[in-house]
Amino acid sequence: MTRKQKRLSVIAGGLAFLGAATGLTFYALGQKASYFYMPADLTTASLQPGQRIRLGGLVEKGTIERGQGTAVAFSVTDNQKQVKVTYTGILPDLFREEQGVITEGTFRPDGVFVADSVLAKHDENYMPKEVADGLKSKGVWQESKSD
Amino acid sequence: MVETGHFALVLAFALSLVQALVPLFGARINSQKMMAVGGPVAVTGFALTALSFAALATAYATSDFSVANVWDNSHSLQPLIYKITGTWGNHEGSMLLWVLILSFFGALVAAFGSNLPATLRATVLAVQGAIGATFLLFILATSNPFARLNPAPIEGRDLNPILQDLGLAIHPPLLYLGYVGFSICFSFSVAALIEGRIDASWARWVRPWTLVAWMFLTGGIAMGSYWAYYELGWGGFWFWDPVENASFMPWLAGTALLHSAIVMEKRSALKIWTLLLAILTFSLSLLGTFLVRSGVLTSVHAFATDPTRGVFILCILTLFIGGSLALFAFRASSLTAGGLFHPISREGALVLNNLFLTTATATVLIGTLYPLVVEAVSADKISVGAPFFNLTFGPLMVPLLVAVPFGPLLAWKRGDIFAVAQRLMAAFAAALLAVLVTALFIDGASVFAALGVGLAFWLICGALTDIAVKSGLGSVAPGIMLRRCAGLPRSVFGTALAHLGLGLTTLGIVGTLCFGTEKVLSMHAGETVQLSGHTLRFEGLYPAQGPNYSEDRGRFALLGADGSTTAEITSSKRSYPVRQMTTTESGIKTIGFSQLYLSLGDEATDGSVVVRLWWKPLVTLIWGGGLVMMAGAAMSLMDRRLRVGAPSRRRKSAGAVPSASLP
Amino acid sequence: MLFWVIAAILTLGASLAVLLPLAGGPKGGSASSDHDLEVYRDQLSELDRDVARGLIQPAEAEEARAEIARRILRLDNAADKATARQPSMATRLVATAAVLAVPLVSWGLYSQLGSPDLPSQPLSERLAKNPADSSVDELVARAEAHLAANPSDGRGWDVLAPIYLRMQRFSDAVTAYRNAIRLDGDSAARQAGLGEAIASAAGGIVSADAQAAFEAALKLDPANPKASFYLAMGMAQEGRIEEATAGWQKMLAALPQDSPWRGAVEQALAESARRSVASGVPAKGPNAGDVDAASSMSPQDREAMINTMVAGLDEKLRQNPRDAEGWMQLIRSYVVLGKADQARDALNRGIAVFGSDSDEAKKFTAFAVSLGLTATE
Repeated sequence: MTRKQKRLSVIAGGLAFLGAATGLTFYALGQKASYFYMPADLTTASLQPGQRIRLGGLVEKGTIERGQGTAVAFSVTDNQKQVKVTYTGILPDLFREEQGVITEGTFRPDGVFVADSVLAKHDENYMPKEVADGLKSKGVWQESKSD
Repeated sequence: MVETGHFALVLAFALSLVQALVPLFGARINSQKMMAVGGPVAVTGFALTALSFAALATAYATSDFSVANVWDNSHSLQPLIYKITGTWGNHEGSMLLWVLILSFFGALVAAFGSNLPATLRATVLAVQGAIGATFLLFILATSNPFARLNPAPIEGRDLNPILQDLGLAIHPPLLYLGYVGFSICFSFSVAALIEGRIDASWARWVRPWTLVAWMFLTGGIAMGSYWAYYELGWGGFWFWDPVENASFMPWLAGTALLHSAIVMEKRSALKIWTLLLAILTFSLSLLGTFLVRSGVLTSVHAFATDPTRGVFILCILTLFIGGSLALFAFRASSLTAGGLFHPISREGALVLNNLFLTTATATVLIGTLYPLVVEAVSADKISVGAPFFNLTFGPLMVPLLVAVPFGPLLAWKRGDIFAVAQRLMAAFAAALLAVLVTALFIDGASVFAALGVGLAFWLICGALTDIAVKSGLGSVAPGIMLRRCAGLPRSVFGTALAHLGLGLTTLGIVGTLCFGTEKVLSMHAGETVQLSGHTLRFEGLYPAQGPNYSEDRGRFALLGADGSTTAEITSSKRSYPVRQMTTTESGIKTIGFSQLYLSLGDEATDGSVVVRLWWKPLVTLIWGGGLVMMAGAAMSLMDRRLRVGAPSRRRKSAGAVPSASLP
Repeated sequence: MLFWVIAAILTLGASLAVLLPLAGGPKGGSASSDHDLEVYRDQLSELDRDVARGLIQPAEAEEARAEIARRILRLDNAADKATARQPSMATRLVATAAVLAVPLVSWGLYSQLGSPDLPSQPLSERLAKNPADSSVDELVARAEAHLAANPSDGRGWDVLAPIYLRMQRFSDAVTAYRNAIRLDGDSAARQAGLGEAIASAAGGIVSADAQAAFEAALKLDPANPKASFYLAMGMAQEGRIEEATAGWQKMLAALPQDSPWRGAVEQALAESARRSVASGVPAKGPNAGDVDAASSMSPQDREAMINTMVAGLDEKLRQNPRDAEGWMQLIRSYVVLGKADQARDALNRGIAVFGSDSDEAKKFTAFAVSLGLTATE
């Protein structure tokens, strides 16, 4: 091989590598990105069975039920529809009734959402961004300036 | 004092404008006097910014609530240390810290740059001044930390409780030293593009600065990871959170830069690539700042956010990234290429390293920005989390880690891969042994876990082999070997230490992910629980009062084999009344390199408490490895090779600038 | 004054940093080729060390040496062509502009941004100055600092509690009254104050907690007007208008002629009389400050004050709309004030918040009908 051919083969190798990496990246994006929904969006969303999604909304008042040990059930609402959620584990410090939460998990065949992680807002002025946007677009929640 | 600080900040802005324009103009018309302006102005600008920062810190320490920023982020009852660290625990203050560090690095170039060609030095300082001027303008226009309140409120609104921790004292300053440190490499690159040529001394300068920035960034990321680990109470050390990614991308690109800079320095090859990489690394630092500060992403780090700030930072981003890349496209062809090398050689290995690291950076970048793009285009909201990164980042890292021990052993220009493989036989045997021991003797170890442990040992033993081979192990007498070992350049030890640290971190990650155990249960006082051979007894909840919070402390006793208490662990739920926030303080007991980690959940009506327990084997190695990497960088910095480049002592002293009269 | 001196010194220093290098004598800069040569020499010597250590093969080392030598040759060819020029007119202009820019930009910007007349105000200094010069806020802060250090000073809490109440820091007032009672024992005034604080914190609703406090106050002092007034108010809120009226009338008979409570009681009686017709009850009990004010007010002013309170409730519901009780209170208030349109608007808004088929919406509609109001016109 001449020097030029060598150089070309090295470049071709590099490009093939980059191509493979790009392919893998976009394959992974298609497989592993999880979509965010509010309860009312679920009627129009076509979910594969077992597909992981993020479900956000407000914890509906009076729906928090603590079960055996660390199991807990509650409803997430966007004031239009409600979804029942079950979760086992420690709830975040700021998990309260009528506060914004984001849960991540999958739907059971009976329509109950089984969450394996629950995120609540970080402080009094912070609502998870997706939830705030979603509620605003549904006209439920107005931004209130704390000052 | 407050207004003095405010005035000093405005004055620093005025000086940074001069610094950005006069030396650059001087370099164009070859006026020594104008080029000489850069040095004193950079040093004075740093002194003024430091004065301004000190004024703000004083306002925080003395609870001066006539400063709006202090009122918003401090409380008179906070302990003094958190009052002071609160200075940068908010948007305005942290931007001031950013600029302070930027001007600090500018002053360092001015102070130690006398061995640089005058025009290069002047241009570098000018670019540095331009970055400083833009960010100072950003602070003064949108985020002024010295805005006043009249009449002053009598009590502040407290610092976000999550930030009331020693981690805040260390993590942001280290991280910013890293982020901003890359600005020097950026300024050097842009200066080279403006001048249209790459001096040999340019190459000498870029590597130490990359090392400094990389060292601090490594420390900052490791510290941030440990802080999130113990403060958030989730027991995780890395969440692939966009904000974490924002600091990880410059680290990956910076690591690539570190390696390509070696080739450039020793062989004068890969110049153009290194230059591009330096621009990209700092651009990723700026992007990180944008992502965190603009409010595009919400997280613990996104203090109060404001759309005008986002637009402003986006403009800065476009100006510097777009401008420097355009300059690169325009000028790169005029730069000369360097030495030749064979694909199988040290140079080749470093190119391979760069290929993997930049691809990995791109992967993380895509994963971080993709949700933003999707939301902008289709209004669908998606999140890209750990599963994506495990699938893409993982496969890229494994071959790279496997290749790491080969690199330092390959010869320059043309290497012999088989000879190197022979030298690495011992390391390979050790790794194989580790795989077998793990698979056979540890219960429940998967094939993956065993291979992971093997990979970690491969890295660790490979790093040791590097030192052993270069000292002449096996080929010379032990006495000579020791002498040769002591005579090795510091940078050889630096490389070995950094690779060793990488191995330790890998071992920690594999240990925690593959052998960790977890339990969630509700406990009454007096109950005991078993976890991975440790017995814990819950002693009960005790209320306690802190300076600006009240807490419920859950006390746990770690029991020995005979049932006696060997250690006490406390985890608590703290309630901060001013912000009406609750935080969980996790309880951690370090046993060897491993940790027992527990955090409290809610109290049930029957008096039992939800408790989450983890056994995290070797978890401290994750951050310990980071510290070893830092030590490696520090070692490399001490190498004498990094201190050459001045034509002669005599001329250097003649070229020295008159020291500026500091206020 | 001191500030301006410091500012002037800083400006002078910064200007000198620009001026001195520009005014200084000519400097012999080192040519960049000298720097490069030094680096290449170092690369050569390092190459020798690498060969000795076996890091590069001799043949390749020769090649590398040739590469470096070529670079050194190229350096000699590109010997410095540029020589330092004499300062031209343009250069002088730039230099002058640069020196002037420092004071001009800084003083110009600072005059826009700064507050030079505002001194630093460290908290400890503010708390240490003469109490007579302090604002109420500062006095309260001082008391709070004292109580943080001596939390078992019952008298301190006792003094602070009514101040909190007047400052509308109701939950702090509740804590302060509780601490005072715990440390210094029961008294009618403290219990009545606690009840008032609890009720005010709940927006004027006399809850069971508040009621218990008022009852405890009456047990200690059967003639305590505050407790009697609020207990009657609580009955009125529960719809027991007649009992409330009886309570207020009993108070009126017992109160001395110059009592500040007289006006408030009379007003409450007048309203309950109106309300018993409309089967409504007052929306919200006035707090102590309001009562003091209302007793010395003209009827128009009183009307205005009530309107303000209702508007306040309305505003609160705009901020926190998911409060069914609040909506019913608001609807009732508008009906009582004779503002049927606004009552209807409030009803529709309340229904919109919870959704038209929710339980709350049905409750609202039924409630509105009972007040003689229909949802749509």
